[in-house]
Amino acid sequence: MALLEVSGLTKSFGGLTAVSELNFQIQAGELLSIIGPNGAGKTTLFNLLAGIYKPTSGTITFNGMNMTGCNPYQVVRNGIGRTFQRTTIFRQSTVLDSVIIGQSLHAKVGVWGSVLKTSANCREEQKTREKAREILSFVGLADKENRIAGSLTEEAQKRLSISMVLATEPKLLLLDEPTGGVNLEEISGLMELVGKIRQSEITICLIEHKMRMVMSISDRIIVLNYGKKIAEGTPKEVANNEEVIRAYLGVRYAA
Amino acid sequence: MEALKTAYSSKVVAWLLVLILAIVIPPIAGGYLTSMLILISIWTIMCFSMNLIYGYTGQLSLGHAAFLGIGAYAFGLITVKLHFGFWPAFFIAIAITGLLAFLIGIPALKLRGPYFILVTLGFAVIVGVIVLGWIDLTGGANGLAGIPRPNPIPLPWGTKLRFDSLLSMYYFILFFLVLIGIFSSRLVHSLVGKTFIAISYDENLTESLGINTMSNKLLSFTMSAMFAGIAGVLYASYNIVISPDVTHFARGMDVVAYLIVGGAGTMAGPIIGTFVLMAIPEVLQIMPYLKTLINGLILMLFIIFLPNGIIGWFNTILGRLLKSGRVVNGPA
Amino acid sequence: MCWPGGTSSARPTCIQIFPIKEKSQGSEVFATTEFGQYLLNGISQGCVYILLASGLTLVFGILNVPNFAQGHLYMVGAYIGFYMVMSFGMNYWLALVLATLALGIFGQIIYSLVFYPMRKAPEVNLFVAAMALLMILEGIALYFFGTSTKWFIIPYTRRVITFAGLALPLQRLIVILGTLMVMMALQWFIKKTAIGAALEATAQHREGAMLCGIKVSWISAMAFIIGTGLAGIAGMLIGPAVLLEPTMGMGPLLVAFSAIIFGGLGSIGGAVLGAFVFGLVESLASGYVSAKYSLTFVFGIMILMLLFRPKGLLGREVWRP
Repeated sequence: MALLEVSGLTKSFGGLTAVSELNFQIQAGELLSIIGPNGAGKTTLFNLLAGIYKPTSGTITFNGMNMTGCNPYQVVRNGIGRTFQRTTIFRQSTVLDSVIIGQSLHAKVGVWGSVLKTSANCREEQKTREKAREILSFVGLADKENRIAGSLTEEAQKRLSISMVLATEPKLLLLDEPTGGVNLEEISGLMELVGKIRQSEITICLIEHKMRMVMSISDRIIVLNYGKKIAEGTPKEVANNEEVIRAYLGVRYAA
Repeated sequence: MEALKTAYSSKVVAWLLVLILAIVIPPIAGGYLTSMLILISIWTIMCFSMNLIYGYTGQLSLGHAAFLGIGAYAFGLITVKLHFGFWPAFFIAIAITGLLAFLIGIPALKLRGPYFILVTLGFAVIVGVIVLGWIDLTGGANGLAGIPRPNPIPLPWGTKLRFDSLLSMYYFILFFLVLIGIFSSRLVHSLVGKTFIAISYDENLTESLGINTMSNKLLSFTMSAMFAGIAGVLYASYNIVISPDVTHFARGMDVVAYLIVGGAGTMAGPIIGTFVLMAIPEVLQIMPYLKTLINGLILMLFIIFLPNGIIGWFNTILGRLLKSGRVVNGPA
Repeated sequence: MCWPGGTSSARPTCIQIFPIKEKSQGSEVFATTEFGQYLLNGISQGCVYILLASGLTLVFGILNVPNFAQGHLYMVGAYIGFYMVMSFGMNYWLALVLATLALGIFGQIIYSLVFYPMRKAPEVNLFVAAMALLMILEGIALYFFGTSTKWFIIPYTRRVITFAGLALPLQRLIVILGTLMVMMALQWFIKKTAIGAALEATAQHREGAMLCGIKVSWISAMAFIIGTGLAGIAGMLIGPAVLLEPTMGMGPLLVAFSAIIFGGLGSIGGAVLGAFVFGLVESLASGYVSAKYSLTFVFGIMILMLLFRPKGLLGREVWRP
């Protein structure tokens, strides 16, 4: 059974159809990339999967559960996490606190426990803190845990936003252009991180524009254009697809 | 680590000093100062209430005057008309305030930004209209009189602690102020508090991390309304008489002014802000009808030039002195 | 309609915003014309709300600031006119023009001193600034005008037109006609002039307008000035028909906001529709149910609209950033 199954997914905003009759699956453990020209509906698709938009029609099934129309926080609790195209972090928080917030959905804490400082509450907070630290060292930000998030470099901020989502313990991670605005050397660092995440058995779905990277790390690729899926397959198949070349790639890519 | 430890303990020492002053000064200073401090304490509780929902959860509610009024009137009606005792009435009044806050919060908190502010403002105006208009229940413009002081508490050595005097009421109210202060402090430093703060920074991002922002906001809103209700009960009991004035929305705006001038999102902010904006006009003998004007002017100056308030500005200076990029432990 | 009056500790006053029924000479029948009377009152009241709501939605659409002080600006307009006419014996129409100009200039001052310097501040700070403005105006009004009510009397105030068993105070007719003229002028301005087009463009898409070379700061000032000017006109038009009181602006503010939420954000047409509807609702509720609780009706309807159709009747999708 596929981890994620999207069937007939359509989203219209008034007269504009952003996403039209999408059908695809994501298998557990794979890395699926979504590519396509700007405005093709990639981020809209992520917003639909994350519950921010409600589909006009179609269904989303995750882990056998029908998730169509779930609220954003419910989607995360069910195991889908996502990052945003523009790096979104809590600029005024510390790095450690940011990841603690990400982990907090798993913490069993409450008002009375917090105010009375019960041992159960304190234990949960300690556990959350330790888990947060683990994640920070996983992404390589352990030495910066007391820094204010807004003072980090762009690349470190991207790592931070990824670590915040990782703290929610997702089974499927949607990464929206994780290397946007990052320079060449830093890209390989981030891609290494993506590889590490794969190894911890998290399924990844990636939106990216950097073709060389996409072709090298993806198991499969889906190509969107004007809200419709125009191609699906291995990097090699997609690179040689006529329509994809016409719409997007422009040059014959020998993968 | 050592530096942080000494910073923490110096903070605790500072708070203890303030508490000692608060306990020791009124008996020496006399009735006028004590009655002023009583009112300042009650409005500081209101300010803590606003601090929770606005300073720490980022939702600007202009309706909290209504909750103070509901607390005061519920308490007054239950004691005067239903002849309940002080403490049962106290808890029922707070429960009623909390329940109403919960009910109005459900639709109101679905809205963001200006719409939320508007609905809370409208709620305050309507509560004012109802309190004024429902003469059979509330006595209308004439208000409600005969509200009781707390019951005398039997002391271990035979006598009873009575609450007829100004000083006794002051300590009674101070007790609640400290209680609410500690409650707030523990809450905002906990994980629950951090969640509220995250919501105030970026609600969408917080939601994308799996947090049910609606239920968190509702929790914060209800708790803060109950604090306001406590302030209302204390005011009613102290003043013995209440009138619809106590629900007027402008009181809610005054509290916002106190909070922002003091420093929203800090623990010392509410205390400093309320004290400064209430005590200084008293000291300078400024006419009551000028107070709204002055509060408005001062608020305007602060929101343009010092939006983080006195304590916020102080923390920023401290941060610069301790070098940027490091966490600053301001006054709590 | 009853408002709790005054922020000072003076006893709250309960003001009749409009006379419940004007007895007209020669009109014997009341029961059947009750509805008509309320309708008429509602139309003139709705006109006041239309002016306020248009100003509000313009500022809200372009500056993204809900100008909480709009009601108090309307109050200031009424008071300025009052003093000019009653104390200086000025002609009513001249006073109307001057009051409007005064409020427009005041709008420019507020914009330059407050909203322009704060243009990069977090949204909520702007709301607080608007609230602070409200407090300042309220304080000034209390200081200069006191809590007593004032009766703005001009030759037109007392004259009443009667027809078909209905009584229409002449001043209220002036309100209706004045509002019609102002709204037509506003419509012409927005649709037919370049500045109007720029206003519309900025309201729809701020960045896009900037890219087209529109000076957004200038347009924002313009929007604000129009907003305050409209409040001034509203105050001057309705002033002679009601009792002047420092908190007279609060209720109309809430109704005007309810109107633009009901009619839909970003749409002047929606604001007009909402304001008109609520003027009628309020008048009918006032007459048939209770003058005291008419605002509760208006507000209740707004809350229902917010719960079930947050866009309003004619609004665009404005929710998530």
